Formats: sequence, structure tokens, C-alpha cells
Amino acid sequence: MSEATRAAKTVNGIVIDDTFAEAFGMSGTGIIITADSMKWARIAATVATGFGTSVIGCGAECGIDRELKPEETPDGRPGVRILIFGFSPDALVPQVKNRIGQCVLTSPGSACYSGLEAPAKLGLGKAPRFFGDGFQTAKKLGASRYWRVPVMDGEFVIEEETGVTTDAVGGGNLLIVGNDRAGLLETAEAAVDAIAKIDDVITPFPGGIVRSGSKVGSKYKGMFASSNDAFCPTLRGTVKSELGPDTLAVLEIVIDGLTSKSVADAMRAGLKAVTDGGTKRGVTRVTAGNYGGKLGQHHYHLKDLI
Amino acid sequence: MSGLTLRLKAPTAGPIGLAGVVPSKLAALSGYDIGALVIGAGKDSVTLGDVFSISRTSGDTLTIEAEGAALDLVGSGLDSGTIRLVGNAGAQAGRKMTGGTLEITGNAGSLLASGMTGGTILIGGNAGDNLGGLLPGDRFGMAGGTVVVDGNIGARAGEKMRRGTVVVRGKTGAGAGTRMIGGTIWAEGGIGPLPGLMMRRGTLIGPSVESLLPSFVDCGRHDLVIVRVISRYLKDTLGSRAPKAMPLFVRKIGGDMATIGRGEILLPA
Repeated sequence: MSEATRAAKTVNGIVIDDTFAEAFGMSGTGIIITADSMKWARIAATVATGFGTSVIGCGAECGIDRELKPEETPDGRPGVRILIFGFSPDALVPQVKNRIGQCVLTSPGSACYSGLEAPAKLGLGKAPRFFGDGFQTAKKLGASRYWRVPVMDGEFVIEEETGVTTDAVGGGNLLIVGNDRAGLLETAEAAVDAIAKIDDVITPFPGGIVRSGSKVGSKYKGMFASSNDAFCPTLRGTVKSELGPDTLAVLEIVIDGLTSKSVADAMRAGLKAVTDGGTKRGVTRVTAGNYGGKLGQHHYHLKDLI
Repeated sequence: MSGLTLRLKAPTAGPIGLAGVVPSKLAALSGYDIGALVIGAGKDSVTLGDVFSISRTSGDTLTIEAEGAALDLVGSGLDSGTIRLVGNAGAQAGRKMTGGTLEITGNAGSLLASGMTGGTILIGGNAGDNLGGLLPGDRFGMAGGTVVVDGNIGARAGEKMRRGTVVVRGKTGAGAGTRMIGGTIWAEGGIGPLPGLMMRRGTLIGPSVESLLPSFVDCGRHDLVIVRVISRYLKDTLGSRAPKAMPLFVRKIGGDMATIGRGEILLPA
């Protein structure tokens, strides 16, 4: 299929393909991390969400949803809300336990609270509290129980549970195609910034951007995903390429959200940021990744998001 | 339940027990059956209609107007809805409450909120001894919910209290938090003498304490995040009735070291 027949619309000179992003149902949870300053809340949140790009290789997809003002947090200090996505609530249990235990409990001045109201619950402080070696105490306020774990700079306060949803969506995506690699990166950064303003979503890859978009499977045993050769510009001519003759690079933005609507809103915001930039940075086309619509339950058609 | 007002017909000779007179129970009864409801026990039992004139009112609050009467067990077993007592309550108001709101405009007697596990109690005046305590046969005292007393409270508040929050505008009597297992008592007017005898866990907060048991120890001056969490929670749930936030740094007095010593008295540093 040629690019011309795929085009749904052209916006500011950028071709928007008549295709869709195919995304999958996931489980997701939210956690609020606070500290004495926003600097240290950010540090704890950044470390806790590290190595969380792809659920296949990392066990979870993680990122910072947004920063919280003191009046928005349970202890009146600056905070950051992180989101963690996995295949199931059970799969999230060890991820939350290890990430909070190793990266937040250890971070100076930190505290940790539920960041998602949901009927289903997931242990948050249930495991880290045992670090207290019997000196930990609990304080129940309303429906929430808070654990106080003695640490060397005072107490680590952590709520016992947070909410978990099985209505989350992972794998919303935009593929930005162009003929100027630096300009393409700047455009993708602008799209990630726009997506960051949407609540309940994360872009889990480095800086929110993926340069190694993948296809399912591989010629090698044990590889679940491999190079998306149809979108690799250096393979154009040697494989059944999806790229036009002038394409120099493709960058992908992957979006996970607590709801399907939040993913759609994030894709819409990202797409608008790309098209608002026009072609001056070398962007020629926006498309999306899918598997023919047979694997993922959620389909986000680009033409519906313009 | 539609609104209901119970108005005392005449001063009573002795105490009247109102156990089980709660909105969820009355909602299922006709006006006649409400009047025929037996209150009290044994030879002292009477019907609700014998003692009160009963009228339907707007709203969904059960209002009891009983100036001059000694009403025990007001709001006992309250699980939902609101009871408003205009006047003073006798003993055991809000006993074994699991939900809803009990508002008493005057004073409350002893054993207010004993065995309470949920809901909110608001007292306009003072409360007697053993607030949140336990009766013979009970394993624990108060185990949940929130009590706010605008005045002072009597001795041994929070005995064997396990969970829940008590906010006192005035002072506590002697022995607050005796044998306490958990929960919080926050006395804005100060903590009375010798609190926390054999206290295992739990928190007493106040601007001062009259005297300490020798088995309590000074743990130093700290910026405790949990105090901020408690303040924020009370502000969110009680609004203007919440206590004024403690200063950033508090002095932690730990005890009772005669037992496991996980309890604490928090004072301004």
C-alpha cells in the first residue's frame, strides 16, 4: 500500500495515516511519593520508575504522571504521582514491593501514599513495613492505615494499600516520521510535553520517546520482540518497507493510561503538538503501530484524534 | 428514614435507656410501632410513646429533645443516619456505634463511645470518665470512628482503645490512654496527669502534660510526617472542628516502657 492511499488527512503539510494504534488491556496502580522538597520527591519518583519501559523486559511499565502541590498530598508536602502498569494485579505486587522498598524507603525524607482510588486494592506498605523489625507502628485514619517505619532520618510513612484497576490500557502510540532526525526529536519532545499535561497517563520510555519500535517475535528463539524492520530507514529497499524514499528517521511515543479515555486524550494531545509544529522540523507523516487489530482490545484511529 | 422528633413529655424520675433507638431501626416501623417500641428493661421498661411525643419532621435526622432527662445509651448501636440530642446524655452514649453521626448539644456522661468502631460523635459540652473505654466483658475499648468534644473529658479516656480518633478542645482528666493499644487522642487544652499507664501503642497529642509516669522516656525533638498526616486527615473530615495543626517539630515522649513502649505522647518542641 502506498503512502498516498494510506493518507487520511494532511494537517499543516503533515500526512496523517488512515490507521490506528492497537493497545492492550493492562492493570495499573498509582502511588504518591512526597518528600521535604519537590527535588527529593522527583528523585525518589524517578528512581522508583526506572527500568520500567516495557512490561516484557522490565516486568512493569512505569512513569511519572504529574507533580502535586503540597495541598494535594496527604502530608502537605510536595509530591509526585507515579503510575505502574503490569499484566495483572498479581504481577504488580512484586514490582511495587521492590520499587518502593528499594527506591522510596531509601530516599531521604520520603513518604508514600495511595495514588489511586479504586475498589480493588494492592499492597503498598504491607511488605516495606517489615523493614521496621518490630519497631514499626500503624496509625489508622478513616479507611486508611499508615505504617510508620523508623529510619535513620526519622520515620518512613507509608500507606498500607493503594488502588489497582484492571481497566488500564497499555500501548497507545504515535509514530512520527520525517527527514530531519534532530527536528524529529524536537517535535517528539514537544508531543511528550503535551501528553504530560494529561492526567492518568505516562510515556514510559526514555524521555517518553522510543527509537527502537518493535514487531512481535523474532527469528531467534527466546526473543519476544525484535526490530521493526518495516520502519527502519536503513533497511528501505531490502525489506517490505513502510517508509517513503525521503524518510530519514521514525520516533515512537508509547502511552499507558489508567483508562482508555485518558490514552485517547493523550494521543490527541500528542498528535496536535506534532501537527501544530508543521513541517519546518522535517516531520512529514504521522502513523501508528498495530498488529492488524487482532491482538489488542483497544484501537485508536488517528483520523478520530485529529 | 424521614425526620423524626422525640420530645420529652415530662421530667423523668430515673434514667431511661435508649439502646437501639436508631434511624435504621425506626425507618422500618410505622408511627404506631415506633410509639409502642419498648425501651429500658425489666420492671422499669416503658414504651417510647409513654415518654416522648413523637412527630415527623423534614429532613432525615432523629432529633431527641430531652432537657432535664437522664438518657443512657443514646445512639447505642447507631449504624447510619444522624441522631441529634438537644440536652445532656447519660452514660454510654454512642456505645458500639458502627457508623452515622451522633450529635449531643450538651454534656455526655461516662463511657461515651465505648466499643465504638465507626461513625462520628460530636459533643457540645464536656464528657465524663472512661470516654472510649470498655465495660466488663469487652475485649477492647473504642476501635474506630471519631469523637469530638468541645469541652473537657474525664479520667481514663481511651482505656484499651485500639483505633479511632478523639479530639478534645479542652483537657483530658487523669490517666488518659491507660492500657491504650492504638488510636489517637488529641487534647487541645492539654493532657491531664499520669497518662498512658501500661500503654502499648497509640498517640496522645497536646500542648502540655500535667505529669508523667516514670516509665515514659524522652525520645527527643522530631519533625514527624505522621503528625502532618493526622492534621490533614482531621482538617478534611472535621473542617472547622479540626484541632489547630501542631508546630513542625514535636517532642516525643515514648512509653509505657513497663510494657512494649510503642506508645507516644507528642508535645510541642
